[in-house]
Amino acid sequence: MDPVKITVDGREIVTAKGKTVIQAAAEAGIDIPHYCYHEKLTIAGNCRMCLVEIEKMPKLQIACNTQATEGMSVKTQSPKVLEARRAVMEFLLINHPLDCPICDQAGECWLQDYYMKHDLTPSRFDERKEHERKREIFGPYVVFDGERCIKCTRCVRFLQEVTHTDELTVVNRGDHSTIALFPGQTLDNALSVNVVDICPVGALTDRDFRFKVRVWYLKKTPSVCPGCSTGCNISVETYQNRIARFKPRVNEAVNSHWLCDEGRYVFHSLTEGERLTSPMIRQEGGLVAVDWDTALQAVASGLAANGPTAAVLSGRNTNEEAYLFGRMMKKLSPGAALEVFYRERELTEVEKVLMSPDRSPNFRGARSMGVGSAAGVEPLLKKIIEGGFHSSYIVGEDLASLPDRGENLKSALAKLSFLVVQDTRMTPTAALAHVVLPSTHFGEKNGTYTNRRGRVQKLNAAIVPPAGALQDWQIFSRLLGENYAGPEEIFLAAAREVSAYDGLNYEKIGTLGAMIEAQKQ
Amino acid sequence: MEKLLLRNVDAPDLHTLAGYRSRGGYRAIEKVLREMTPEKLIDEIKASGLRGRGGAGFPTGMKWGFVPKDNPKPKYVVCNADESEPGTFKDRLLIEKDPHAIVEGTMIAAYAIRSHTAFIYIRGEMVYGANMLQGAIDEAAAAGYLGTNILGSGYDLDVILHRGAGAYICGEETGLLSSLEGGKGWPKVKPPFPATHGLFGCPTVVNNVETLAALPWIIDNGAARYAAIGTEKSKGTKLFSVSGHIKKPGVYEVDMGYPFKKFLEEDCGGVPNGRKLKGVIPGGASMPVLRAEELDGITMDYESFQAAGTLLGSGGVIVMDETTCMVRAAWNISRFFAHESCGQCSPCREGCHWMEKILNRIEHGAGRAGDLEMILSVSGNIGGNTICPFGDAASWPPAAFIKKYRSEFDEHIAAGRCTIHQKAA
Amino acid sequence: MTAVKFSDESLKAFQEIVGRYPHKNAAMLPVLYLAQKEFGYISAEVMEYVAEIMGVPVARVYGVVTFYTMFNMKPIGRHHIQVCRTLPCALAGSERITAAIKAKLHIGVGETTADGRFTLSEVECLASCGTAPMMQVNDDYYENLTDKNVGEILDRLK
Repeated sequence: MDPVKITVDGREIVTAKGKTVIQAAAEAGIDIPHYCYHEKLTIAGNCRMCLVEIEKMPKLQIACNTQATEGMSVKTQSPKVLEARRAVMEFLLINHPLDCPICDQAGECWLQDYYMKHDLTPSRFDERKEHERKREIFGPYVVFDGERCIKCTRCVRFLQEVTHTDELTVVNRGDHSTIALFPGQTLDNALSVNVVDICPVGALTDRDFRFKVRVWYLKKTPSVCPGCSTGCNISVETYQNRIARFKPRVNEAVNSHWLCDEGRYVFHSLTEGERLTSPMIRQEGGLVAVDWDTALQAVASGLAANGPTAAVLSGRNTNEEAYLFGRMMKKLSPGAALEVFYRERELTEVEKVLMSPDRSPNFRGARSMGVGSAAGVEPLLKKIIEGGFHSSYIVGEDLASLPDRGENLKSALAKLSFLVVQDTRMTPTAALAHVVLPSTHFGEKNGTYTNRRGRVQKLNAAIVPPAGALQDWQIFSRLLGENYAGPEEIFLAAAREVSAYDGLNYEKIGTLGAMIEAQKQ
Repeated sequence: MEKLLLRNVDAPDLHTLAGYRSRGGYRAIEKVLREMTPEKLIDEIKASGLRGRGGAGFPTGMKWGFVPKDNPKPKYVVCNADESEPGTFKDRLLIEKDPHAIVEGTMIAAYAIRSHTAFIYIRGEMVYGANMLQGAIDEAAAAGYLGTNILGSGYDLDVILHRGAGAYICGEETGLLSSLEGGKGWPKVKPPFPATHGLFGCPTVVNNVETLAALPWIIDNGAARYAAIGTEKSKGTKLFSVSGHIKKPGVYEVDMGYPFKKFLEEDCGGVPNGRKLKGVIPGGASMPVLRAEELDGITMDYESFQAAGTLLGSGGVIVMDETTCMVRAAWNISRFFAHESCGQCSPCREGCHWMEKILNRIEHGAGRAGDLEMILSVSGNIGGNTICPFGDAASWPPAAFIKKYRSEFDEHIAAGRCTIHQKAA
Repeated sequence: MTAVKFSDESLKAFQEIVGRYPHKNAAMLPVLYLAQKEFGYISAEVMEYVAEIMGVPVARVYGVVTFYTMFNMKPIGRHHIQVCRTLPCALAGSERITAAIKAKLHIGVGETTADGRFTLSEVECLASCGTAPMMQVNDDYYENLTDKNVGEILDRLK
């Protein structure tokens, strides 16, 4: 790096040549307030919030567009700067509606935050405010409020520069400037809701999250998206033990600042609906609740008597679970065919910006842990349909409901001598089972996923499973007859056996993940 | 006073190639092509002391010198014919009467920076002017003054006329470039500067019509003769547009340094109808107004106007007599800026309309105590904090009117109406 | 594919315009003028068509059209009367001219006569301050107006 030394508020900072003052300051932990600046988008320089004083320059300069040069001396707290900040805040607020009580952005609104931090002067505006369109539906997930908008153009630039879909523009001029869609168009590209994330105010908000819960009540847990094998880093945000929303976490090695719409809302389909709260065994007349010992006994004996078993693990199960599952199946059903569920699909150009062509976030991790091969799950499904197995153990996938093979699989599974289904809800597949085992979903798990590129990342449990359900790893370990204190111990055991994970632990994986060694894998 | 720019303006055929050439036209570009390198040309214009005549007054030769010679990208010259500063109509005169001088001046500027494509950006409303310019361009091209291998010199140049579509902000250098690139007239954040990253990201020089039209005379007669006119820092002549309450409105060519009061009273005939002068805006509506009593000792040049707390700007002189309500005048100008703000940056977008709203209220009888302090405060918060100088230009007039005519504003607010006996309009 | 299309003649003009510029995007304003001339005003369909032939997103065309005063997104009268209202013209009595026009045509600012003959607008400085008050009607400037001669001028505009 070509180093450049500057001084910010008396502190000497070394940064790389080519960095701007706002970037250099941020590296040193000095946050210069800003709206329109975003590190992944081009410079707009229109909010004027980041004006700072630079020695030898008569006018204040915007920190986002000023290159750090050797010996530059910057003041971010001088009286001139503070006055300019208050002036900009005042200008942004004069036409801003008094919507806080009904605005979803409250609690994470940059106008509120900066007002409290940098302003606190009462409003002097005593004229009629300009009015604009409110509650305008931009797309299936995004709603627009023109009065709240501060015209920072982050949304416009995102759609030009990241998705290249150009849906939004600024129309008119002066204080009639506003953000608009061309009449008749919608904002519905695969990454559309990112504009809600980057909008600093409540101008663009999430329709799914609308009015659900005040953000200061949310508990935020870092985790990984279970939507596909990209493994976007997310924050799972919950209230009263229910997932309210996903937000992306920044990880330049995986998803940068973004999250796709499908992944963002995948928690709905994966977590909603009535939960299984007791193991069940099929008897005369249907499935009846039993205790765990009875159920697991039935599993062990059923597998032994009806092997080899077709074993299908969900792509959403963790590495720890896959490690135990593989060893458990080999023990209880020698010769069992093991696969992790994995199906590919076509992606559009916009989807390709972020998404992977599957819905199995940990397919690579599962295979690395001994569950499944490059041959994939399709031959196994085919063999099940052809009657090539007498028993099956299916974890977390509703095979009977697959759009193309579901009907065939349903009748084939119904004919099995012994079927174990381990899942969170009574799916059509579970309804066919001889033994049903209640388990957990991604939001309740601690464990790791290995994404498509070989990055191991940590899931953290954000909510507590219902009483009666067990973690998948607990079920497998009991069937296996091994005792573990928790997922971390399982991971360490797996890392000792699977050389690609050699030397890794949860601490090293941290919040941003760590690469496995591809050659050894 | 010498007439350089307007020396032939009354000739009815000046706009034709034959008429222009018969009066010495296109000799300057011939001289430049035959005898001068671009470097020598830039030095000559530097020596003349010519400063940009659009309003900013930046030394023209120095501006040309900022274009990097070794940059491999194409270079562009843009003639700024977007004249929209209220009170200014001198470019229009040149465009309609002497378009060849503008073409020739554009050619000279293009040669100085090694440009092979020049644009003339004319405001959309000037249809007649656009036709005159296109006619001159076509005649020049047909005669071999434009195109390839001009006059056998090996130098190529095309001049393209481009019409704006109604936006004052397109007269701002980078707003013009954004518009010429096919977008909204949004000024660009600087750095980078047009000299290195201008039109289409290439080195670009933007010059005003009057600046370019002055070049042929300077080349024909030499920089020293141009610099011999005017003052130490303001060389040559300047076109002043005079309007408002004046006996002889029109465009005047004035030696820089000429006494302002004398100009108004004698050359322009003074205020008509026996009325008294109340105030003058010297440089277009952006510039702070001067009270009648302030005019003594002011001369018509950059330094003197600046020392008087205003600016020469575009030289748009707006004369107001004693019947003028200064509150209404201030409101009128604030309404202009509110209408023309491009809306990109927050201080201008919100501040211009705020000031207009307050002045509107005061003018129509609903003024309140504290209004004037508010306008002064808002004005101060806009100036210096915006992407482009429009913010400054919008912030000066309301503040200047209030400062200079404070008692009138106070009375207007207190009375709830205009207290000047005969209203202007 | 859009419902509106340039005539063959306009298409030729379009090609010529685009050929003038080193980058196609720069042709946006002249192409919009061409479209406005051909189709009378710039509707949503016209914007879609321009976006298609210019190869740019339609949102970009939308932003440009709404920014400039000389592009009309709705039909206007045959004669667009634009009276300058900025300070020098105001000092010369532009408001009396506007009032006279309103009285004569029985329309307000921003309105069009029922027979579609005139639309009245107020505009900002047209660089004609020395011959104020004045107005622009379509492409032409009418200067040194009085409340009397403005009526005569309008009578001549069929």
